[in-house]
Amino acid sequence: MSETYPTIAQCAIVATAFKILLFPAYKSTDFEVHRNWLAITNRLSPWEWYYEKTSEWTLDYPPFFAYFEWLLSQIASLVDPAMLRVSNLEYDSWQTVYFQRFTVIVTELVLVYALQRFAESSHALDKRAAQAAAISVLLSPGLLIIDHIHFQYNGAMYGLLLLSLVLARQKSTLLASGLAFAALLCMKHIYLYLAPAYFVFLLRTYCLSPRTILRIQFANCVKLGAGILAVFSVAFGPFALKGQIPQILGRLFPFSRGLCHAYWAPNVWALYSFVDRLLIFVAPRLGLPVKAEAINSVTRGLVGDTAFAVLPEITPRLCFALTLLFQGIPLLKLFTRPSWDAFVGAVTLCGYASFLFGWHVHEKAILLVLIPFSLIALKDRRHVSAFRPLAVSGHVSLFPLLFTPAEFPIKTVYTIFWLVLFLMVFDRLAPASQRPRFFLFDRLTIIYIAVSIPLMVYCSLLHQVIFGKSYEFLPLMFMSAYSALGVVMWM
Amino acid sequence: MASASAMSSPHKPRRKPKKTAHFDANVKPEALVRSPTFPLEALLWPARSSLSQWEVLPLVLMVAGLFRWAAGLWGYSGLHKPPMFGDYEAQRHWMEITTQLPVSQWYFHDLQWWGLDYPPLTAYHSWLLGRIGSFIDPSWFTLYTSRGSDDPALKIFMRATVIVSEYLIYVPAVVVFTRRYSQLFGVAQWPASLALVAILMQPSTILIDHIHFQYNTVMLGFVVASMSSMLAGRYMWASIFFVAALGFKQMALYYAPVVFAFLLGSSIFPRINLPRLFGVAAVTIASFAILVLPFVLGALYDASRGIESQPALEGTHAPLPIFTFLSPYLDTTATYYPVVEQIVQMIHRVFPFARGLFEDKVANFWCAANVVIKLRGYPTELLQRASLLATLAAISPSCAILLIRPRKELLPYAFAATAWGFFLFSYQVHEKSALLPLLPMTLLLAGKQGLGKEVRSWVGFANILGAWTMFPLLQRVDLRVPYAVLTLLWAYLLGLPPTSISAYFQKGRSTAVQWATFLIHGGFYLAMAVWHIAERTVTPPFDKPDLWVVANVGLGFAGFSLCYLWCQWKLIQESGIIASWLPKANNDKVKTK
Repeated sequence: MSETYPTIAQCAIVATAFKILLFPAYKSTDFEVHRNWLAITNRLSPWEWYYEKTSEWTLDYPPFFAYFEWLLSQIASLVDPAMLRVSNLEYDSWQTVYFQRFTVIVTELVLVYALQRFAESSHALDKRAAQAAAISVLLSPGLLIIDHIHFQYNGAMYGLLLLSLVLARQKSTLLASGLAFAALLCMKHIYLYLAPAYFVFLLRTYCLSPRTILRIQFANCVKLGAGILAVFSVAFGPFALKGQIPQILGRLFPFSRGLCHAYWAPNVWALYSFVDRLLIFVAPRLGLPVKAEAINSVTRGLVGDTAFAVLPEITPRLCFALTLLFQGIPLLKLFTRPSWDAFVGAVTLCGYASFLFGWHVHEKAILLVLIPFSLIALKDRRHVSAFRPLAVSGHVSLFPLLFTPAEFPIKTVYTIFWLVLFLMVFDRLAPASQRPRFFLFDRLTIIYIAVSIPLMVYCSLLHQVIFGKSYEFLPLMFMSAYSALGVVMWM
Repeated sequence: MASASAMSSPHKPRRKPKKTAHFDANVKPEALVRSPTFPLEALLWPARSSLSQWEVLPLVLMVAGLFRWAAGLWGYSGLHKPPMFGDYEAQRHWMEITTQLPVSQWYFHDLQWWGLDYPPLTAYHSWLLGRIGSFIDPSWFTLYTSRGSDDPALKIFMRATVIVSEYLIYVPAVVVFTRRYSQLFGVAQWPASLALVAILMQPSTILIDHIHFQYNTVMLGFVVASMSSMLAGRYMWASIFFVAALGFKQMALYYAPVVFAFLLGSSIFPRINLPRLFGVAAVTIASFAILVLPFVLGALYDASRGIESQPALEGTHAPLPIFTFLSPYLDTTATYYPVVEQIVQMIHRVFPFARGLFEDKVANFWCAANVVIKLRGYPTELLQRASLLATLAAISPSCAILLIRPRKELLPYAFAATAWGFFLFSYQVHEKSALLPLLPMTLLLAGKQGLGKEVRSWVGFANILGAWTMFPLLQRVDLRVPYAVLTLLWAYLLGLPPTSISAYFQKGRSTAVQWATFLIHGGFYLAMAVWHIAERTVTPPFDKPDLWVVANVGLGFAGFSLCYLWCQWKLIQESGIIASWLPKANNDKVKTK
């Protein structure tokens, strides 16, 4: 077969039609955030970008993203100049909506291109599987929910990440891969979580001799070092000259925020909070002290600052240490056996460790795990069976992002559609593994997936019927705890 | 059955490997390798062999539902358009009429404000939905204060009712129909699934029902159910479903002659089958009776409680709006009088004889002719008679054929030809009525050579033209974007212009016919594109403000006439009537009209 059908382009066209239909859908404050950034970068000099604070949504992405917004704003001024007024808060004329939504679709072409490269770079036998994986990423409900409804530019940035991963597949383009990743870091710093895997992989395959780790390839080291330095100086250089780096870093890394993000990302800390909640009721009987001020906030789970009533507080330092510890394990393996598959696996696990233990993790960060993992999910059955619960829990955990009834059918039906289609396809395409499976674990995942259905029904419909507006945090907490269970179990 | 059609055209195997210019580069020497000829085929390519229909069907239904719901996020007709708002308000208002008022007032209540003018099944449907809606939020349906409500939650509820009604009636009917119809020709399951996707993604249905807002798919669903019962040989069920369609929306009358012809024909030919004839007749009458029964009972019950149908008249009876010749024989104080009054009023509301030949600009004969000769100058009676005669002339060939050759294979052609005849020549046609001929025509995709180039190009042409004639209706409420997206997506999926011209050329068919079809269709597609550009950029001259709408109507009429002729021609060709007269007729020559 010279060509596998459907092609990525064909799927992209149909998906684009659907995304355009979603233009009038709910949009979160992120829409206003990005409009504000368009205005800031267009109307102010770069030296004011990181100081401007008319809107509460200040610029808190690295400079490349600011440049990107500046580029977009040049076109925006032709569409509706009113959206570029910094003081024009919450402005959403239909031209603004069309324009901003449209830029998300156009910039997602980076992802389409990267996926096409990925499918082409696979060997003949794996090509069908690679194409299926590529299409699964392209149609990912995560990207649909976050980018095309909630509003963000993840498509473009994950496109760059995948491009960099694909470039790492060939020796000749390793340097380009490293530079692409550096550029990505200068767009959105969340990808720092993946940096350890890149560091180890490039060190081992590019800077050290393939045969023995004792010989250093100096020329490559210089090329890579100079390249990365160049990328970073283009991004941060101008600001460094003005002495604005501390201000930028303060914006990029707001450690003053709480441990759990507003909507409880499904990670270890969500389970930790859940246990803490339960202990409030149990602790008095066990004679444990309960902090009064933590109980008082009824809407817990919705506020940024989480205080624990019974369990000890968590510090950013602890999060950081745990993350690095869990990243270290796959990195050691990668260092000893630096294949491309191991590299993507390490990237996935780095994202995963940081998602589980990170400080103030967004639920959106689950894509850091899901998207790289999709590339290697079809390696064999074992990978698929690991992918399955993670895909279910990861996508279900994104549901609370959209809470309006009009979007409820879209998020649920689309996610179910995607899960049914791709889990079915993956099952068929994945070759059997060499190693035996854990049978009990398999059954558990089926139970796990089955539980998701009543949970979704409860959180979306029944809860409102039973409790009305009170206890709003309950469904969120159930969702996060459930998703966290899935995500953690996957280890 | 198949031999008759084989006589008229050389039999072609369905799965013949096709070589097209587009995919030539990919065709490998080994004969088994085929490649998809249009994108929809490509998208379902992996489902070709390994998957059973039960794995494909849920996915297809989910995708169709997603597109519908996403389309529903856009505005509906009459949104923020006081004083009268639009179809959405009409449907909402009927829900409050039926839930808030006694049955005997349904057809009388404040007729100036979207008075109920659909048959009783719509009223019952509105009642049910109104009940459910009032349970969620009673303020949506309070009869006066809720007029023109633009509550976003109400919009979600209303959109959901359209989808649920469609998934309960239209979708199952179409699924069953495509199955039965494709099996009739021995078409494999996979192409039948493709046809199902194409039918469900029909742009004009989504545009009218899920965006503009109406419940046409309920009526169309009953019609498809009726057709699929005919395929299965269940003639009584066919008549029950058809009565339901008529009872939901009088527009289903477009199909009535052909339903009648088929049911009658299959009871007479090849030999007279009296039990079937009487059975069908009895069932039809019984279902009509059941349909109006709640009304009759309601009227009697209200009369017994002393509830007037028109409280404003304070006990006196208004004269009958129509059938006034009955009045001398009727006793207004008799117990039967409320029933008569109700039925007459219902008929009066449902069939507005008093209105003009046409209301808005519609792509039918009368509107197009009105550009040349001002029809308003002629007496209404003459026009009504002319319209009746023209319609009868247009529909009689297809009905006659179905009467003497009541063959199941011909059903979609005959339904389409008859509905086109009505659409083009009858009285009081709406732009939205184009859905009626489009549906059976689109169903052809599931039949013999349905996805072959000839049928695909004609069905595609009719659908795209149909959506295009609805554009003036949609752009009034700023729906250009969903219009463009849904129409272009469908054209793309089926490999039609403006996205591709591969549907027009194929080896083994007469070159002259191919070129003629291509040039005619190409001209229309080009004209539609030019029209869109002109409509956006050029303001019409001051004395002709409707220039673009009139141009749309004229072109639409021409194109629809071609579709009518094509359906009629295919019906004649497939019925084998000509072949039995002229054994060596070369049909392809005749087709270049």
